[in-house]
Amino acid sequence: MNEISILMHLLSNKFGLYQIGATEEEMLQALKITGKNKTIYFQNLLTNLSKYVEPLGLEVRYNPIDSHWFLSFDSEISDTISANPFEGKPRLAATLFSVLVCCIQNSGIGKIQDIKKLRNKKNVIDDLKELEKFGYIEMIKDSSQIQLTPLIGYQLNMEQLFIKMALKLKNLE
Amino acid sequence: MIDDNILEELNRRIKDIHDDILEGRVSLLDLELVPMFNQIKDTLTVDNLDKHSKIYKNTCELLNQKFDELKNLLSSLDTQEKFTKYLNTNPTDMEICELFEGCWSKIFTIDALSIDFLEMSKERLSKLIRESYSIEHLQKKEGGGVFILEVPKLKFSEKMTEFLNSIQGKLPCSFDEVFKDDSDQIKIFEKFVYLLHLLQLGKIKYQKETNTLYK
Repeated sequence: MNEISILMHLLSNKFGLYQIGATEEEMLQALKITGKNKTIYFQNLLTNLSKYVEPLGLEVRYNPIDSHWFLSFDSEISDTISANPFEGKPRLAATLFSVLVCCIQNSGIGKIQDIKKLRNKKNVIDDLKELEKFGYIEMIKDSSQIQLTPLIGYQLNMEQLFIKMALKLKNLE
Repeated sequence: MIDDNILEELNRRIKDIHDDILEGRVSLLDLELVPMFNQIKDTLTVDNLDKHSKIYKNTCELLNQKFDELKNLLSSLDTQEKFTKYLNTNPTDMEICELFEGCWSKIFTIDALSIDFLEMSKERLSKLIRESYSIEHLQKKEGGGVFILEVPKLKFSEKMTEFLNSIQGKLPCSFDEVFKDDSDQIKIFEKFVYLLHLLQLGKIKYQKETNTLYK
């Protein structure tokens, strides 16, 4: 067994509903990497692993919500196997977008009242309940607030979404 | 000589930059890459083209990374303001949905890829490699018809061992040496088959560079 096989095991493992892969600390511990150059060694290992898995259509990614590294299929394969959970449900995609805006502006927690304003709709509860079923959000405080679960950080490439939005805005100008 | 020193210095510089970035000591956006490209350009000659190409490629990689960092910086600037601005354009649900296209990823999870599974696979693989296969001796059966193949008197393994004993004294020797005394094509082919099996079983080894067979 080598470092790559251990990393593959750690990064492809699923724990519970919302946790996939491993944190940097967990990987360093599993590989017994210590010393002042551990970060460099760790980065090199991840870089090499991503080169190994690239021909398989996989990529190593980082979830900023729960600081976990994990494996996902590259965008081409993800598109081919329809990773979009909202196909044919643009309403849900629009509500999720408002949820993201709200949570990002308020340190991860959004008020349902604010989401209603952003969506310009009187009732968003049904959409939020559906998003909760998908596992992307959790209702808190008597259902007056919501927060994102780590799952959205695994399934949605937010950086890509922001870039697309910035480009769209630029085209509108 | 001076050129070699400059190249070594450039190589060292690139490596240091990589280490500094990984340790978070330096941001590529603060780093000036133009002097490095100028240095490469000024010292380039026909003789050192090979080494220069490698350094040029590494420096270009740094430049690409710098572009990526710049792209990330630009996209993170005023994100909140951008969101509000975008929503103020009153996009339809369909427009927002299209924005999500290409941003979804399918997660790769596989429970079977456990440490135990990897250990077990490794064991199984090494066991499989150790096991050699045997060639069953052809048996003549009474079938009533005409049997077109002649059943050999000796088993394949016996013939192969006989061949091995006959060349033992010659080893180590060149590959051609084994077939030196044979002019019959069938005989040469037969010996070649024995040789392949012996090589596969590890009873004989072959060094390609010197075209030598040895024990």
